[in-house]
Order: sequence, then structure tokens, then C-alpha cells
Amino acid sequence: MEHNTPILEVDGLNTTFHRGGQPLPALRDVSFSVARGEVLGLVGESGSGKSVTLRSIIGLARRYGDVTGEVRWQGQDLVQMPDRALRQIQGREIAMIFQEPMTSLNPLLTVGLQLEETLRAHTDLSQSARRDRAIEMLDLVGIPSAAQRLKDYPHQFSGGMRQRVMIAIALAANPKLLLADEPTTALDVTIQAQILDLILRLAQDMDMGVVLVTHDLGVVAQTCDTVAVMYAGRIVEQGSVRGVLKDPRHPYTVGLMRSVPENLPPRTPLYSVPGVPPSLDALPQGCAFAPRCAACVAACTQDRPPLTVVTEGRQVACLNPITKSQGNAA
Amino acid sequence: MTTSVLQIRDLHLRFPLGRSMADVAMGRPGRVVNALNGVSLDLNRGETLGIVGESGCGKSTLARCIVRLYKPSEGEVRFDGQDIFGADQRADRSYNRRVQMMFQDPYSSLNPRMTTGQILAEALRVHDMRPDPEIPARVSELLELVRLPQDAQHKLPHEFSGGQRQRIAIARALAVEPEVLIADELVSALDVSVQAQVVNLLLELQQELDLTILFVAHDLRLVRHVSNRVAVIYLGRIVEIGDSETLFSNPSHPYSQALLSAAPSLDPDDRGKTTKLEGELPSPLNMPSGCPFHVRCRHASEICKQQVPALLPVEGRGEVACHHVEEINAHA
Repeated sequence: MEHNTPILEVDGLNTTFHRGGQPLPALRDVSFSVARGEVLGLVGESGSGKSVTLRSIIGLARRYGDVTGEVRWQGQDLVQMPDRALRQIQGREIAMIFQEPMTSLNPLLTVGLQLEETLRAHTDLSQSARRDRAIEMLDLVGIPSAAQRLKDYPHQFSGGMRQRVMIAIALAANPKLLLADEPTTALDVTIQAQILDLILRLAQDMDMGVVLVTHDLGVVAQTCDTVAVMYAGRIVEQGSVRGVLKDPRHPYTVGLMRSVPENLPPRTPLYSVPGVPPSLDALPQGCAFAPRCAACVAACTQDRPPLTVVTEGRQVACLNPITKSQGNAA
Repeated sequence: MTTSVLQIRDLHLRFPLGRSMADVAMGRPGRVVNALNGVSLDLNRGETLGIVGESGCGKSTLARCIVRLYKPSEGEVRFDGQDIFGADQRADRSYNRRVQMMFQDPYSSLNPRMTTGQILAEALRVHDMRPDPEIPARVSELLELVRLPQDAQHKLPHEFSGGQRQRIAIARALAVEPEVLIADELVSALDVSVQAQVVNLLLELQQELDLTILFVAHDLRLVRHVSNRVAVIYLGRIVEIGDSETLFSNPSHPYSQALLSAAPSLDPDDRGKTTKLEGELPSPLNMPSGCPFHVRCRHASEICKQQVPALLPVEGRGEVACHHVEEINAHA
């Protein structure tokens, strides 16, 4: 997929939290870029660093840990930017939607008020113009009788409708980049399909970049242009969705894809990668996936493999990557 | 081979909401949530029956009725020929022992102040499974059965991962040597790789212990994989039930077709091939007349608005509740 120059460039992002005086390396050397209109998927299991990546980009992680590296946005580095300046970007240029539509709306305020709050903070619109814009936004995300529903409270909306409200709030100020943290995980598949469609359509119409965090490879396949697979705080493989899903090169990506129950004889054992992900306070020397990896060679336990280009547009962090024929046989 | 262990007949469950001030002023009766609207099905010995549907369709309510957490408003559930809600059955704890439930949330379904050993021992004592001196040995056996290390018995639930907690929940259910397991979204909260481990364990134990499983889940791929038969529920009614492979490869009810098509495929080349379902599940407070699906169905006609279609066998398929099943599938 062809895209113009990147609007967001993440370069060597490291985030470290501390627990009981001990450093927990939540993110290490994460680098990627997103262009206008591009949808990038971040996939991985719980604890792999997907959400921390989003929170580190938008400046929510630095309150709880140390963030280093560079996040280049419109010629500025968000990592070094003071809080006051960052607040001009949060919600205005870069918006975020969270997984839980139940807990991320204020239950005591009407959705109209919550929409207008965003508009008051980020636009110069007059009060009546804000109201018009609020109605327009609810309408845009497919909430019927938008004008009446402005007066309703979050509990009067279903889960799917609440997530639409969250999207309306996030997009109200016309952001250039949307960070979406598992926006459909709490929803039914039928509603998930509607919400993903909506995000895709709006991304196209508004020429907005999207970073979509998900653990569902099906969502990636049907929604994203590019994908980055994360494991233990690092990107282990990245490239075009078609390339990565059809021809995965990192053994972890292969394992992740194989554990999805599809195209298997019914009621046969499902594949699962042996072992469990390492704890952040006890990361192995060398490749973090080595202890669970069937393709592990001696060097894997010594040296950490850097993310390197293996074919056109594909980067893999593995000393012994799977070739296409092996991937199909496995 | 197909002897049914559990027969559910015309099960209805209505939750009254109580009359609001407005209802009293208008002289209206209180509103009612129609959670189940005439569910009938047989659970066959040794099979895995999958139950799928959107949230709020009544999947969990059905599971809870089966283990007597809810008492149905109408209809019956028979186990071994006996009505489980009959007078003599109320006091009988043997049913509770023989039909065990496992819950979705591995963080709230285990007592945080009890060690795994205590949790398992309690189940053994309540149902008099073993004399006291033999309990520790049985606890060890159960841990082995679910592939947990022996030192697990001295730990508290918070010391375990989500997958390990679900193993404890399985061990607790198996402690009382049940015949039927009700798994309500047992692995939904787990990562795919952990999910695979727990599902594999469940399938192995089913073989080993000759268990019958009712598998309630919203992950369609997973249900397809583990089930022999599948029932699709919509607004408290079964709209289609049949052999799992047939139903998934060739769904007959327009709702089953839409539901299965909404599950995102792993193949990026399938993009845009899904039929999108418009709208949302209607509220069970205001049930549509006739077929519950007619408001979202592109095949709906006049008869669908008036008459509830019966669940009837269709040649070469399972049982389907749709007035237009023949035409719809003739075109397909």
C-alpha cells in the first residue's frame, strides 16, 4: 500500500517502570512510522507492550515511568516536550480511544456535555457552533436521532453505542492521528465489524493515521495496512499485513498464527507456543523468545537479534528466521 | 450412542423490572425483560454442545438456569428423567454435584482468601466425596489432573495467572466427579496461546472422564473447533441448531449467516467479503413481534412480522427457525 511521508515517527522508544526499586523494561527500542491515511496494527499478547507504546507516544506513560527515545510529530519530539505544550497536542492533533467504553465516559455527565468539553478545550467554536458540531459528530458515527441523544447519559447507551460516542469525542477536534487501544475487544463480533468499518471510513475521509492495538489477528487482517508484532516489549516483526500474515518469518508470529483455531480438524489439540512469556524483571539474555523457540540456535541465547530487513518492506528480529517453505510446513 | 442426559423443554425466563412511578401513574403493569423465550434442546451424553450468540441473547441465562442459579418462569429441565425444579429435587444436592458450572472471570470466581488446596477440599467436603483423611491425596490428584504443580495447593488465587486460575476452576468442578460441565465463556478472558492450552486440557479431560460439555462462548472459531453440535441463540430463542461442521460451513438461518460472516477472517484477501449486519440486538424489554430477527433481516416479509417461526428440521441441515429458509438457501 502506497502512502505519503510519515506523520508520526517513533524512533528507539524505551519505557521503563519501577517496582520495588527494580527497573521493569516495558518497552525497548520500539521504532515505527505511520503515514496519513495509514492504519498500523500493533499485535501481541497481554503484557507485550502494545498499550504502553500508545501511552508512551501520547505522554501518558511518563507520569509512571521513564520514557526515552524519540517520537517525532510535526517536527517536534513529543518525548522531550513539556507537559503544557503536550496538552495542546493530546486530544487535538493526536486522539486516543480506550478499550473500556463503560469506564472511559463520565457516568454523571451527559454525552453532549462530554463532547462539548472536548470542543471547548480544542477549538475556538462558539457555544452554538459546538452544539452543532456535537450533533454532527454523533450523526457521523451512526448514532440515530443525534440531537435528542445529546441529553442522554452514558448508561442509556449500549456498549456499541458508547464506543461510538468515544470515537465521536476522539474525532471531534479533527485529529491527524488516532491511537485506538483494543477499541472493539469488549464488543460482539457484529458490532465489532460495524465499529471497525466506521474507524476505517473516517480514517479515509479525514486522511487520518491510525495505530490500532489488538490481540486479534483477524481484526488486523481485515482492518490494517501494516502490522507490528510485539513480544516482551520489543517489535519482533513488522511489514505489510498481507506479507506478515501470509508469510510470517519470526517464529513467534508463526506460533501466534498457528494458535488461532482455523482450518484444523475439529476437536484436535490446538497448537500453543510452549512455555509462557518471560517476566519483565527476568528477561533472558539474548532473544526474549529463545526459551520458547523451536528454531533457537546457540547464538540466540547470547545475542539479542536486531530488527533487520529480510525482504522488501519487511523487518524481522530473529537470527534464524523461518523461510516461506518452513512456515507452510510448520 | 445419542442418549440425552439433559432435556430442556420450552424454557421461559422473565425478569420483572418492577413498576416505575410512570407505570403506576399510567396504570400500566411493570416492564419485563424476556431473557429466554421458549428454549428447547437436548444435551446428549458425551457430546460438546456449543452455544453462540451476541451479548444479551440469553446464552449465560440458559447456562444459569441449567445449574439452578435462576428458576425459569415456565418450562422444564429434566435430568435423568427428573424435573430439576420439581419439589423433591429442590433439596437434592446430587444434581448440583453431577452438573457443574465453570465461570468466565478467573479473578472473581475463586475466593481470594482461600488457598487452592482449601478451595478444592471444600468442594470435596460439601459433597462428601471423600472421608477427611483421604482429602489431601485427592487434592494432589486433582492438581495433577489439570497439570498444575503440587506446590499450587498452598498458594492463593492472586498468585496465579489467568490460565492457571481457569485450571483451578476446572479442578474444582471435577472434584465432585460431575457428568456434565457447563463452561460459560471459560477461556474468553485469556490470550490465544493460553486459551489453546486450557481448551486442549478440557478436550483431553472430556475423553478421559467421559464428560458432557455445554460450551457457551462468543468466539465462533473456538466454538466450531470444540463442539459436536452448535445452537445459535437470538433474543432468547434458538434460531438454528445442528451439527457443528454443517452449521459453520453452511449456515441456514439469515442470522447465523450474518453472525458467522462478521467474525474477521485471518486472510487479508477476504476483506470486504462480509455481509454486514445492520443495527443492534433489540432490547429484550421490547420484543419485536413475530420472528425476533425480522427487524434486522433483509429477507423479512409480512409473515415474519406476525408469526414466530418454529424450529423445524431442514433437509441436509439442522433445525432452523425461519419462514423463508428454503428460498434463502436455494439462492445461496
